Amino acid sequence: MKSPKKHDFDETDFARAKAEIGGIAKQSGALVWGVAAADAFDDAPEGRRPFDLLPKAEGVLVVGGAQPRAGDWQSPNYQHMEVTTTSDRIHGLALKLARVVEDRYGYYAVCVPPGVDHGQQPFMSIAMAADLAGCGSKSLAGPVLHPEYGFMYFGAIVTTMPLPADSPPGTPACPAPECVEMYSAEGLTPCTRVCPIESGGCLGGRIEGGRIVERQYDQARCATRVQNYWVPGFQKVLGETLREKDSEKQKMMLYSSMFSRTLWSMTYSNVSQGQCAECMRVCPLGRAHRTRQ
Amino acid sequence: MGFYFVDPKTYRKYRDQVLELSHAVQVNFQEQLPAGKRQPGLSDSQIAEHLGIKEHVVREIRCVAERDKYPIDEFEAAIRFKNKACRDYAERGMSSVMSKYVKRAKKG
Repeated sequence: MKSPKKHDFDETDFARAKAEIGGIAKQSGALVWGVAAADAFDDAPEGRRPFDLLPKAEGVLVVGGAQPRAGDWQSPNYQHMEVTTTSDRIHGLALKLARVVEDRYGYYAVCVPPGVDHGQQPFMSIAMAADLAGCGSKSLAGPVLHPEYGFMYFGAIVTTMPLPADSPPGTPACPAPECVEMYSAEGLTPCTRVCPIESGGCLGGRIEGGRIVERQYDQARCATRVQNYWVPGFQKVLGETLREKDSEKQKMMLYSSMFSRTLWSMTYSNVSQGQCAECMRVCPLGRAHRTRQ
Repeated sequence: MGFYFVDPKTYRKYRDQVLELSHAVQVNFQEQLPAGKRQPGLSDSQIAEHLGIKEHVVREIRCVAERDKYPIDEFEAAIRFKNKACRDYAERGMSSVMSKYVKRAKKG
């Protein structure tokens, strides 16, 4: 296929191309999609902006979806969510769209890797991209939430294609009206009640005038929950095991349910796995889509 | 041998400062908070400049400190936490955390 040259396009063509790409995204299972301007990432740390992945970037195409099923949320077995909440499906869709941008329109397209770099940090904030592209807004609990669908996974493609950019939502989806009401009566929201930072959890915050005005988040504690049976848990058990001089006790540690489960988890998948979803399980946003008979 | 881990003495000296500056506990970190309230954490290179040490040393200290912050017991506690929260929700749904507010929202 012959790639079109950049000067073949005018603004109308870019708007049409954006609609075509969005159509492919929707047909392929995306719930939401949008475009963030590449130069809108001023709040991102240096080294983690679109230009750091692709120097001549013009925009970041964002797709969201791959939500857990309604039944996944309802299962009483928390382990079920640990093995079904993966971001690989939305990353697969992002890879497909990157191919479309390169092959159909002739521009560079780089998928933002869903994992972490050598500093254990994201290559670029996909959450920030989703917010800037109008796909949702950051929440008190942390994840970007859509006003209609609530929690979902996002993928992002940095591209040199100058697609018309969208804007962040005017009104954040979080806090939901019922959370505002609960907060004004009890000083808590569902997410801060289930995982309170002041008593062994990860989250805290304050709401004023229906908006989040303060937020606390213990990232390290959250890692013990979200990456429970994962690299951090593996490192902890390995450290304890290497220090253990008693070979019988060492065997108990190596063959323990926690270490075995961690190894299963790590070897099953090379994508990000969210192993704790309790703050999102109680989030009222998108509840209608998580309710069945 | 090249550098791939930081020596324990350097780690102990800078651990608390690196964690504090990088915001392992994030207080008012998010972009959409009011400008006067926002306290975004520093990047590794900014922390390095602040402390007068090299960026890759900061990165190693931060990576170790983030893992070091909680003992293995916390990972075991996480299992109990998730089990209870998940079962509470399975039994009572949103009522496990906010029953009356859900009912009012439905009526509204």
